[in-house]
Amino acid sequence: MDLQRESAILDRPGPVANEAIAVPGLGLLIRLKLRLLRNRLRQLTDQSPLQLLMVIVFVAVIWSGLYLIFDHVFVSLRRFEDEAIIAIPYVFHVFFLAMTLLLAFSTAVLVYGALFAREEPAFLLSAPNEPRNVVAIMYMESLFFSSWSLVLLGLPLMLAIGQVQGLPWHFYPTFVLAFLGFVPIPGSLGLLIALIVALYLPRLAKRNVIYVSGVIFALVAMIWWSRLWSISGPNASAEWLNDLMGELRYLKAALLPSTWVAKAIQFSIADKPSQSTFYLTITISTALCLSWWSTMIVSRKLLPAFGRATAVSNKPRRYSGWASHLLTRTIFFYLPLKMRILILKDLRNFFRDPIQWSQLAILFGLLSMYLVYLPNFRPGGFTLTWQALICFLNYGAITLILSTFTSRFVFPMISMEGQQSWLVGLWPMSRAKVIWAKFLFALTVTSGTALTVSYLSIRALDLPVTLAIMQAGSTFATCLGLNGLAIGLGARLPNYHEPNASRIASGLGGTVNLIASVGLVAITVALFGVICWYLVKSSRLDRLTSEALVAFLALIGLSLGVAAVAMKTGIRQFKRQQF
Amino acid sequence: MDVIGNPLRMLDRAADLMTMSLTIQNVTKCYGRLRAVDNISLTVPQGEVFAFLGPNGAGKTTTIKMLTGLLTPDSGTIAVCGHHMATDSQAAKSKLAYVPDQPFLYGKLTAHEFMSLVAQMYSIEPKVAKAKTQYYMDRLDIRSYADQLAEGYSHGMKQRVVLAAALLHDPQVLVVDEPMVGLDPRTVRSVKELFRELADMGRTVFMSTHTLDIAETISDRIGIINHGRIIAQGTLSELRAKAAQEHRLEDIFLELTNPEDPPETVAMAS
Repeated sequence: MDLQRESAILDRPGPVANEAIAVPGLGLLIRLKLRLLRNRLRQLTDQSPLQLLMVIVFVAVIWSGLYLIFDHVFVSLRRFEDEAIIAIPYVFHVFFLAMTLLLAFSTAVLVYGALFAREEPAFLLSAPNEPRNVVAIMYMESLFFSSWSLVLLGLPLMLAIGQVQGLPWHFYPTFVLAFLGFVPIPGSLGLLIALIVALYLPRLAKRNVIYVSGVIFALVAMIWWSRLWSISGPNASAEWLNDLMGELRYLKAALLPSTWVAKAIQFSIADKPSQSTFYLTITISTALCLSWWSTMIVSRKLLPAFGRATAVSNKPRRYSGWASHLLTRTIFFYLPLKMRILILKDLRNFFRDPIQWSQLAILFGLLSMYLVYLPNFRPGGFTLTWQALICFLNYGAITLILSTFTSRFVFPMISMEGQQSWLVGLWPMSRAKVIWAKFLFALTVTSGTALTVSYLSIRALDLPVTLAIMQAGSTFATCLGLNGLAIGLGARLPNYHEPNASRIASGLGGTVNLIASVGLVAITVALFGVICWYLVKSSRLDRLTSEALVAFLALIGLSLGVAAVAMKTGIRQFKRQQF
Repeated sequence: MDVIGNPLRMLDRAADLMTMSLTIQNVTKCYGRLRAVDNISLTVPQGEVFAFLGPNGAGKTTTIKMLTGLLTPDSGTIAVCGHHMATDSQAAKSKLAYVPDQPFLYGKLTAHEFMSLVAQMYSIEPKVAKAKTQYYMDRLDIRSYADQLAEGYSHGMKQRVVLAAALLHDPQVLVVDEPMVGLDPRTVRSVKELFRELADMGRTVFMSTHTLDIAETISDRIGIINHGRIIAQGTLSELRAKAAQEHRLEDIFLELTNPEDPPETVAMAS
């Protein structure tokens, strides 16, 4: 049947010049997003019930843990009634102020991605959708995703307060309303930040701008925290209290939205519904007004911003590649040429992908800044117990960061390589060597960074040689174990069909790797705790006890064993792999 | 007929504006110092398949994005069926359909759901939408995978779904960027016939392509862009006359877009 004959049956009358245009409303886009969510959930329950179950269990564990912590904090505070009167309001002010910054930041990242870095807005804008509706739906979607952190932290906080204080039922809806009313305030700020980046910084790597903003936020927080620390002292005098309150007064500035929402909750706890409703109304009306205002501004500037953000650079950067070449030859001199070529390719990918190196640089950079600053906290030096305790905590922080990095960036490496099967499959090099090259590359990058931070920790705490060796050795061993797991499981549970590395990392294989990595970190941290414990118990950090030595050897053995088993399994699978 | 033509004359009368499905008038678009599109003018009447050719980076995609309202020109105007994209964009977009070179589908929607979404976006009556969806699904051989999630589709499968969805609201102008990439020979034949039939029914097909054979076979007129300027436009025989040789389109294209010729020289020669 040809189109002409068919169109006689199906065709609408041809459009004419003055025909009224029926523009689809926001409701259609909301229904679209709900349909996408429903299909995603249905797919998860049908195809990956284990993954869904794991996510639910994780969330439940985190919620329960947070609830217990909040419960413990509030029960402890109740023992000191006077202090509680002062401290509890500050908990809310600090919480909501921190959330303002985090939500503005995360909404900016998400809105930028949704409006200027995906194909979806091009599809929506080429249809007769109002730009206002496109901005509104992306804004709502971003708010939904960015406020997860608030929900994750807020719900246990609410339940703990309600439980400990024995508050009436109307506290709970007030709390939820305050939360929901508050979220769009930093969200609208994030929406405007995303627009400014798209309009005025289109030539810069946007993620870098966002990451740098994050570092600036963190620096400001650190400086403020150090001011607080500097006025702390052993004597809890009236002068000290005045100084402390003076430093904290910014938190309670009357014009801050975080103050309004904090007061709405405080008055609700104090059973003063009229004052609580007053602040709640201010919060919600401001949120609605700011959301409407920012959506209007962004929708008016959407097309120019979209054009600028998606435009190709007129001066694409040229790469000579000599630095990466030199680096590979210097660091991996001991490897055969073919393996070095593969590593050179990965090294160039790493340096030219700001997401990878900036994440490593920021996480370890923040840790390094804290370690450089650490000696200033106690100019007279730390006591033996504090040395061991902080050393233990630093080791925990380093290995946790390592595990997130290996799960996000090292695990997908094999899957991504497998997608180049036309290259890997024909390469005149054994497949086992491909795996080893990946492993050595990842180990060099991660252990180099981790050991540098570990050195800073040792220097900041002025650790004796014995504990210094323990920390550096444990860090390297854990690094080896984590990389072995990520590469081995990456080869054992690959996803060769997904081009997006972050989706590979969040898939089934990635989840298994994450759980295994966190498990390894938990055990090694526990073993390192045993080392520190026995050293402190012997009152000497410079002499190794037999128990500490056994724990150290167990840590090394476990990490090596895990890496060996994972690598062996991965290599066996990769050799058999049909691309 | 003048190969470049003078579209400005045609804008003098409103009636002419209506018969022209697409009117691009003195449009320029710059990215920093780069003039991606440099003062181009072009008209495409109803019932024509217009092939838009050019080497990589010549300005084709920028022009198409401006046609579809995704980019705003720095200067000049674009009108679709008499509706100016800058001042009356909703009306202009309602007459238009766009199939990008990288077809966009929501990974978590099926082809059925996606087409239903597009039908609702263009306010098509449910009965008509259902009948048209079924027709295009049969015509483009989509039915066998119509209820699977789009994330599992190949490029060609996606391309077919996007094309079918684009035709649901019976657009006066269909803008397609590289329509045949990833399609199997049977579907290529089917799409070529579809474009021809659309044009015969008075619709306009504006097609950007690197596949010169297809441009040669189905297009009524051809425009060639290079360095952001339209360096030649006309029927195949007019282009042959211009190039002063009885060659295939491929030879004409290669001669007109010879990178050794400065763009100004080529434009003046046209």
